Amino acid sequence: MTFLVDHIYYIGCFGLILIGMYIILAKSNLIKVIIGLSILDTGVNLLLIAIGYINGGTAPIFSRPGIEANGMVDPVPQALVLTAIVIGVAVLALALSLAIRLYRHYGTLNLRKIKGQKW
Amino acid sequence: MVNPVLLIAVPLGLAFSIPLFGFISRRIEKYIPVAGMLFNLVLSIILVPKVLQSPIVISIGGFRPPFCINLVAGTVGVFLSVVIAAMGFLVSIYSLSYIKEGATEKYHMLFLLLLTGATGVVLTGDIFNLFVFYEILCISSYALVAYPGSREGIEAGVKYLIQGALGSSLVLIAIALIYGQFGTLNMADIARNISSIHSMNIFLPFVLLIGGLGIEAAIFPLNAWLPDAHSSAPSSISAILSGIAIKIGVYAIARMVFTVFGISDTFLFLVTLGLITLLVGELSAFKQQNIKRMLAYSSIGQIGLIVFALGIATPGGVAGGLFQILSHALSKGLLFLAVGYMIYRTGSMEISSLAGMGKRMPFTSLAFTVGAFSLVGLPPFIGFSSKFMVIKAAMAKGSAIFVVLAALVLFAAIIEGAYFFRVVQIIYFKKSDNALKREEAPPTAIIPIAILVTLIIVIGIYPNFLIGLLNSAGSEFLNRVQYIRGVLG
Repeated sequence: MTFLVDHIYYIGCFGLILIGMYIILAKSNLIKVIIGLSILDTGVNLLLIAIGYINGGTAPIFSRPGIEANGMVDPVPQALVLTAIVIGVAVLALALSLAIRLYRHYGTLNLRKIKGQKW
Repeated sequence: MVNPVLLIAVPLGLAFSIPLFGFISRRIEKYIPVAGMLFNLVLSIILVPKVLQSPIVISIGGFRPPFCINLVAGTVGVFLSVVIAAMGFLVSIYSLSYIKEGATEKYHMLFLLLLTGATGVVLTGDIFNLFVFYEILCISSYALVAYPGSREGIEAGVKYLIQGALGSSLVLIAIALIYGQFGTLNMADIARNISSIHSMNIFLPFVLLIGGLGIEAAIFPLNAWLPDAHSSAPSSISAILSGIAIKIGVYAIARMVFTVFGISDTFLFLVTLGLITLLVGELSAFKQQNIKRMLAYSSIGQIGLIVFALGIATPGGVAGGLFQILSHALSKGLLFLAVGYMIYRTGSMEISSLAGMGKRMPFTSLAFTVGAFSLVGLPPFIGFSSKFMVIKAAMAKGSAIFVVLAALVLFAAIIEGAYFFRVVQIIYFKKSDNALKREEAPPTAIIPIAILVTLIIVIGIYPNFLIGLLNSAGSEFLNRVQYIRGVLG
């Protein structure tokens, strides 16, 4: 039980990552695949945050007296997540705009029916 | 003092100013990538003699290296940035008249961003910064593959995007795990501390990094997107994707394996993987009827050869791998540029429709032949010197297994010869039904093609002036202690 309490963030984010990967691999609708990519991204961002987090930590700013350096969370992963979110949004926007164009060409979003390119 | 930051900052700034220039005049926007890449080419060549003495380490933000984002312009980085800038410059000249339809300012902007991302990856010394530049490269290449808006282009773009985005997520997970264990993102700092961690704990990030970066590098089981993407993109973009983008994936893998992790157990794995990629790529290329698809599969094969050469992990092998990167960039770039106007004239990508091209477009056909012979590895061209170097390094390894592997590499070269000679034969000797009117490509295409042909022949005849640079680059990869000391002081 203590294992679960200690590692709940990691279990949660790897759960999200695996759910995202499952959706990308198993679903045939392009929109669902894009949702899977988004869930995967969220899982990765959560992992980054969880790595820098300590229980009951505060922002690393000496805003009021009595704050000690060892009670602060690591700010670097949060900066990384900010960048990763922006990149994720760009990929998602591009994917959705390509999905619209794909639907105009093929009249379907079912990836199993889109076989214009021979393998 | 020339600052390597400018190699990234100037093209990035120019890329985002292209829409602004478009407001002033629609004419000048297409000359901006030419200007940006010419600047990068000149600057990188100026940097070459300096980095041959010692690598230039630039700290951004005024902190000392482990605490800041740093750029490491070593010989590998500057060598690859010369290759990127040279190919970018030639292809941007080619694009001046080749790209006419659609949103041209977006094309030129994405093109410059792609090259900025590639330059950033090879120059950075920070693992997360590498990821960011890698994403700039990937996102602009997804958009450029889908740029023509055709049925095939959009489908290939979607495939590429899904696989590429999955790969980047794997890289980010690996970065998170590495940061969790080392508390640093600086590649030299990670490399210094990697031996203090139990090897089981770095196994997962290592596998995720190789898998994630391997998708962009199109190593064998991860290469499903490449033939579609490279054959549906406009030919100028295919030249950049084949010549530059996949090499960046290989560079990133090599940097991780050699410098950051320094695991010598994986070299034989890399050699095998490279060889499988080589054989699969060449065998698939052999049965293609579509010329651009054939060239795309041949790129997979060549990537396999580069990975094979890097996996030999002797100074000669790594130098041969880097030489092969240059040789493939020049030859495949030339082939795609030449084929671009052949397809434009015939309106078909089938190999059989190229019949009679030898009379219709004599210079372009000659250039295609030079590129094909160079890729196969015939003597006066650059491909011969680079393949010779790789085979020599494999034989110098001395063990029986490497002799067998080198024999398989030569076998792949025979397959390569078979399909390239077939195309050359169709171009020159097959009778065509159409009227044989001479219509050569426009001068903006002839100039870059002629420069590439000259480079292929000149470097092929006299490869020695590159040997010093290549050996120095090879030792940068193999000597991690020197790299760590160079960055952290």
